[in-house]
Amino acid sequence: MNQEIPQEELADLEISFTLNGCQVHVSIKPWETALDIIRNKFQLTGAKEGCGIGECGACTIVMDGKAVNGCLILAAQLDGRTIETVEGLSSNGAMNYLQKAFLDKGVVQCGFCTPGMLMSAKALLDECDRPSKGRITNALSGNLCRCAGYVQIIDAVEEAVAIKLKDAGDPAENR
Amino acid sequence: MTDTNFSKSSSSIGLNISRVGAEEKLQGKALFANDVVLKDALCLKVLRSNLPHAVIQSIEVQKASTSPGCVAVFTSKDIPGRNRYGLINKDQPLLADTKVRFVGDPVALVAAVSEDAAHAAISRIKVEYQELAPIFDPEEALAPGAPLIHEKGNLLGKRLIKKGVPDLAFQKADVVVERKYQTTFVEHAYLEPDAGAAFVDQSGRITIYASTQNPHYDQADVAKLLGFPENMVRIIQTATGGGFGSKLDINTQGFLGLAAYLLKRPVKMTYSREEAFLCTSKRHPLKIVYKSAANKDGRLLAIDVKIIGDTGAYASYGLAVVTRSAVHATGPYEVPNVHIESVFAYTNNSIAGAMRGFGVPQIAFAHESQMDLLAQTLDISPLEIRSRNILRLGSTTATNQTLTASVGIGACIEAIAPHYEQIRKSIEPTKTKRLRGVGLGCMMYGIGNTGVQNPSTAQVELDSNGNVTLFSGAADIGQGSSTVLTQIAATELGMNPEKICLVAADTGMTTSAGATSASRQTYISGNAVLDAVSKLKEALMTEAATMLKTGRTSLILKNGKIENISNSSIFVTLEQVARKAELEGIPLKWQGFFDPDTTPLNPETGEGNPYATFAFAAQLAEIEVDILTGEVTVRKVVAAHDVGKAINPDSVRGQIYGGVAMGLGFALMEEFAPGKTVSLKDYHIPTCSDMPNVQAIVIEDPEPTGPYGAKGVGEPALIPTAPAILNAIADALGSRIYFLPANLEQVMKAIHSGASKPLKIKLMV
Repeated sequence: MNQEIPQEELADLEISFTLNGCQVHVSIKPWETALDIIRNKFQLTGAKEGCGIGECGACTIVMDGKAVNGCLILAAQLDGRTIETVEGLSSNGAMNYLQKAFLDKGVVQCGFCTPGMLMSAKALLDECDRPSKGRITNALSGNLCRCAGYVQIIDAVEEAVAIKLKDAGDPAENR
Repeated sequence: MTDTNFSKSSSSIGLNISRVGAEEKLQGKALFANDVVLKDALCLKVLRSNLPHAVIQSIEVQKASTSPGCVAVFTSKDIPGRNRYGLINKDQPLLADTKVRFVGDPVALVAAVSEDAAHAAISRIKVEYQELAPIFDPEEALAPGAPLIHEKGNLLGKRLIKKGVPDLAFQKADVVVERKYQTTFVEHAYLEPDAGAAFVDQSGRITIYASTQNPHYDQADVAKLLGFPENMVRIIQTATGGGFGSKLDINTQGFLGLAAYLLKRPVKMTYSREEAFLCTSKRHPLKIVYKSAANKDGRLLAIDVKIIGDTGAYASYGLAVVTRSAVHATGPYEVPNVHIESVFAYTNNSIAGAMRGFGVPQIAFAHESQMDLLAQTLDISPLEIRSRNILRLGSTTATNQTLTASVGIGACIEAIAPHYEQIRKSIEPTKTKRLRGVGLGCMMYGIGNTGVQNPSTAQVELDSNGNVTLFSGAADIGQGSSTVLTQIAATELGMNPEKICLVAADTGMTTSAGATSASRQTYISGNAVLDAVSKLKEALMTEAATMLKTGRTSLILKNGKIENISNSSIFVTLEQVARKAELEGIPLKWQGFFDPDTTPLNPETGEGNPYATFAFAAQLAEIEVDILTGEVTVRKVVAAHDVGKAINPDSVRGQIYGGVAMGLGFALMEEFAPGKTVSLKDYHIPTCSDMPNVQAIVIEDPEPTGPYGAKGVGEPALIPTAPAILNAIADALGSRIYFLPANLEQVMKAIHSGASKPLKIKLMV
């Protein structure tokens, strides 16, 4: 921002959007990012800032069904959208099938990339019931992980796919 | 974990217990340092030098101090204690006093009400410098008449290792191979940029939440900077988003401590990714001249190795890298005659310190290339030449240490051999533009610090309700020490690990476990936990024997009860024993200790027993090179690691997969240019698209002094990967690369450099 323009002279913006299933209304500064307000205004600190320039994917959230970098989206762009963060995956404190698959495969090491990784995987699995390994890899290739070497992460997403198909009673699973 | 598996054996060793903290991390609930909210915390930012070497003539802070929202500006004059810190050598100022020594050296610290206000204040500080001639090469730094970076001189340290009579062996050898190798600075690139928060508590104690792998060291160095008693500084490790060695240094903790101490207000500091790149420590770039001699059977007769390292502006853990790279220069091979000299210098480059492997990944690139060169010269297979030279029980290392147990390198090589042979056979001459190759990489790695004391302590407490709490100072930075230590304690007490409460890495609550470095926490802190728990168990069994009026040896501790071995209906619960012991004043909190049995290295000859145990590994890499673009695709890695005992096999495999990924980056793409590389746009680390098929093979050659036989795996996981990939590239091209990373440019040079295996390439331009 231009340091010569006092912040108070720039009018706040009022926006409304759906956040993890709840309709929310918030006033924001024009320069704030989606990541800023999700972390600071709503105290949802699962999404992380790892680089601030869309390279690492630690800030990944789901916007209208697509995985996006929270650090590259202006807060103003959230108006009227449907936003999902990692905090919305669990219901009543119980982890969903994707989180359970990550737990089962021993994916989590430092855990800083985990929320973003989960959200990229969620966007993929919401869109596609039976993604190939190549498609999973492609969907997660924007999420850097420095600890785990991705092997167990890909395994976990494949397991989640299988669980989802099984729970849906997909006959293909019984072939 | 599955309770059924646990209850069968009452031991959780070897079970895939879920990581401590994993559920919180999966739900976005775990608090990392930047997630900590302290009410009305001021934002801290640092003004850093934009010159590599200069004398500070003046710092003008008046305009910054009166800038809107700025609360304070601090310079070195405000530091109440000794303005020098560092892991081994105390040579680094928190804020530069007389001069700056690298681009990124901190000059002034600003505390402001917001990040924007802090940036605005920073921009109003004026520093006048007198530029000095910078030095960016360690050999130039050591040349006579070179400008001095530090008053004591530019030499960081030197290590000599001598064994046998190498000169004579070189004369008698059938074959001698000498090559020069070079590696670059490498960035840790942990996903979480350094961060912390601090406040002064009601007792006047400075409490610092930090992303750290070294809380007790942080406490000591922050206290010294402030001239404040150590017990008045408390470090609490938050969830830490990776470290890989760079979070052993105090990156934000000194600034947080200083500002909280002087302002008596909560403060918070988060590095931008640019700061994390510019200012934190890196992997040392090494120049290695490596000469090997062998007889015609491929038996190693001698090595002569000269290592020159660049530690950058400050020492950090550099001195440990000087020694460790030298001690490991033979690799996992028995070499009767050895001359190794390792010399590191200060330069005006970024700080080089600890990074996963402490110099061993670099030296392994050299020793593994040499093994292949010898094999090629003698027409022996790379697998065979290694098998003929590996360390075995009774072998002596370069420092004349005799190995008496847990030497699993042979088993590692045997495990990958069939995979190697199979891939070898499948590679046929091709007329396509994509050449395939397969290569091997082997390593040894000494667990714990080199020839110095590096103890760990732990406590375990049983309360009167029968609950067990384990206290350990060990910082889990994602590698899994918290889980492993809990498994060890639980197994000794015959309990489910989920029932043990762990308090870790808080200097106010735990005693020191030493640094999370040198792959030491499972072995050293694991033993300290075992010691503490054994003492508690002994006290409980004695008490139970009195209560049950039976002999101590006829009792067993199992599932929260102490029962008669032959009649399980005769028992007392831990709760009952605890209540009785409490009434009798018998202590229920016990301290454990372990310090590995090592001896210091002789300064003249390097002789000594620097480590109590070694990890071993062998990996193979199968690659494909596109000879039109130089692109290398790693298709497969098979990684066999002797870890002694896998306390948590999923965690061990996780370390191996992560190590392979980091090794792949080290081999092919990672190169940090001091003062220039500032973002993940300039510095590429492997993504999931770059990953090969990785097969992890866990070898368990038990270490008698290890907890349940365990050694360590954190650093070993990375070490063999780059050598294996580079050997595979040489196999594919018939021409070798002596520089890391083997980026596109290096590969293209190798393709066109007149290979020994002639290539017929016609470029269609």
